[in-house]
Amino acid sequence: MSGEILEQLKARLLDLDMDGAVELAELVAGGDVRIADAVNAISEGLEVVGQRFQRGEWFLTELVYAGEIARETMDLLSPLMETASSGPLGTVVVGTVAGDLHDLGKDIFINYARSAGFKLIDLGVDVPAEGFVSAVKEHHPLALGMSCLLTTTDSEIGKVIEGLKRQNVRDKVKVIIGGAALTEQFAENAGADAFAPDAVTGTDIIRGWGAS
Amino acid sequence: MDFKERILTAINHEEPDRVPVMGLILDRATSDRVLGKKPADIGSMLSNPELRDEIKDYMNSSWNDMYYGSWADVLEAAIKLGFDANWTVYAFMQAVEDPESKLGLVLHDVFGRVWELGVDEDGNMMSSYVRGLCTTEEEWDAWVERKRPLYDKLIENVADYHKRLADNYGDRILPIGFAGSGVFENTWQPMGFVNFSKFVYQKPDFVEKVIDFQTDVYLKCLDAVMRSGVEVVLGGDDLSQKTGPFMHPELIERLFGDSYRRVSELVHKRNRKLIWHSCGNIYALLDKFVEWGFDGILTMEPTAGMDLGKVREQVGHKLVLVGNLDVSYLLVRGTQEEVEAAVKKAIRDAAKGGGYILSAAHSHRLVDPTRLKWMIEAAHKYGKYTS
Repeated sequence: MSGEILEQLKARLLDLDMDGAVELAELVAGGDVRIADAVNAISEGLEVVGQRFQRGEWFLTELVYAGEIARETMDLLSPLMETASSGPLGTVVVGTVAGDLHDLGKDIFINYARSAGFKLIDLGVDVPAEGFVSAVKEHHPLALGMSCLLTTTDSEIGKVIEGLKRQNVRDKVKVIIGGAALTEQFAENAGADAFAPDAVTGTDIIRGWGAS
Repeated sequence: MDFKERILTAINHEEPDRVPVMGLILDRATSDRVLGKKPADIGSMLSNPELRDEIKDYMNSSWNDMYYGSWADVLEAAIKLGFDANWTVYAFMQAVEDPESKLGLVLHDVFGRVWELGVDEDGNMMSSYVRGLCTTEEEWDAWVERKRPLYDKLIENVADYHKRLADNYGDRILPIGFAGSGVFENTWQPMGFVNFSKFVYQKPDFVEKVIDFQTDVYLKCLDAVMRSGVEVVLGGDDLSQKTGPFMHPELIERLFGDSYRRVSELVHKRNRKLIWHSCGNIYALLDKFVEWGFDGILTMEPTAGMDLGKVREQVGHKLVLVGNLDVSYLLVRGTQEEVEAAVKKAIRDAAKGGGYILSAAHSHRLVDPTRLKWMIEAAHKYGKYTS
C-alpha cells in the first residue's frame, strides 16, 4: 500500500497533476507512510523532470510547473519530517549582476533549485559586487550563483570573484554562473567553478558539490 | 538601386545590386557616439527627490515627444553609418514612483508590466521588464477595465509615431516598423512566467482569454504601423532562450498558432512583408515560422548556438534571413579583418539568390559604431551580386 502511494505521488508529479499530487501528499501527512520516503519519491520525480528537460522532451513551462507541484507537496510534508533529516540540501545565494535588470533565468533557477530541496537567498537584480560578497559572508552558502544576460555586464562576475578573494571567502564558496551572455570558456577565464546553461544543469552541479 | 529597392528586392528572394544592411534597435549609447551627443546625468538627477518628481512629470507629459526624439536620433545615426533600413519601435509607458526600486521610479506599460529603471556607465537611462502587475485573473480583469481607454490611445500613438518617422526619414532610410512586443510576451509578462506556467495547466480558459485580448490589440497596432506608410513590418516575441523554446512547440502552436496566423494574414492582406524577431535558440521553431506565414526572421543569436548557414539549410528560401553578426565579441572588440571575415562568411552562407539582409545579431551599449561601419563597408565590398 505504502509503495503504491509513493509510486502514485511520483506519477502525479510527472503527469503535472497538481491536485492529485497534493491530495496524495495530504494522505501521506495523515497516514502511515514514512514522510522521508514520500520526500524521496518527489525528489526522484524531479530528477525525471530534469532528465526530460535535458533530453528536450520538456520545456520551461513543464519544468516550472513541476517545480511548483513539488514545492506545494513539500510544503505539506517538510514540517512533519524529523529534525535531523528536514534541513535543506544547502544554501545557495543568487542574484543578477550589477547593470543587468533581467531576472527570468535567475527566477527559473530559484524555482527549480528550491523545489529540489535547496535553501535559496535571492538578492534580486542589479546587485553590486559588494552585495554578493556581503551575502556570502552573512549566509555561508554552499554556492553563489550569478546570472548575467548582457555582454555589457559580464565583467561584473570577475569583480565579484576578486571581491570574494579580497575578503578571504573565495575558497569557502563555489561560484556558478549562467545567462545568455556567458559560456563555459567565460566561466573558466573569470575564475568561476562552473557554468550552467540551464536551471536543471545548475541544480545538478550544486547537488554534486553538496554531496562531496 | 536605392536603399528601398535593395531591401524590397532581397525580401522578395531576388538578388539586388548588393547585400542590404539593416540596423537594429541601436542602443542610445551607440547612437550618441555616432552623433557626438553626451547623455544627461540621469542617475544623479534621479537621486534628488525633487528632480525625480520633475523627471516623472516630464516623462508622463512628454512621453511621445521624448520617445520620438530618441528614435529620431537612432535613425539619424543609422543613416550616418550607412544602413539601408532600421528597426523602429514604439512603447507606451507611464513613470510611477516606487520606493522599493533602486532609482525610486519605475515604468508601467499599458499591458500591466513593470520596467525597472537603471543608468548605464555613460549616464543613459535603461529599462528592463522585471515583473507583472496582474498575478491573478481578478487583477488582470481589473487592470484591463481600468486601462481600457488607453488601448485606443496606444493605437493612435503607434500610427502617429511611425508616420512621423516615415515622413521625416523615409527618403533616406527604410524604417522597418515594429508593432510592439508580441502576443506571447504580452500574455506571460503581465502575470510573470511562474504564474503563466501554472495558469497554462490550471486555468487554460484564462490564458486563452488573455491571448484573445492581446491578439486583438496587437492586430490593431500592426494595422496602425502599416497605415503609417511603413512597407516592411517587424513582429517579435522572444519565444526561445539560450537552449531552446520556452514552451513545447506544439503547446505554442495550440495556444498561439492561430494568433500568429492572423498576424501574417493581416500583413499579407495589406500587401506588406512580415519579418519576425525572436531571441534565443529557435531551430525547433523554424518550421512553425514558415507554417504561420512569416516572411522572414531576424536575429539568430550566435551565443544561443544559431548558425546562419544551418538555418538556410533548414528553411531554404521559405524565409528571408536577417542577421547575425556576433555582438558578444565581434562588433564590440573584433578587428577589422575579423569583421570582414564574418561578413564574407554570412554572405557565403545565406545571400545566394537574395532573401538575405546583413545585420548585427542584437544591440547593446558596447556595440561599437566603428565596427558597425566596418560591417557595412564589408557588405558594400564583398556583397555585390554579379549575376
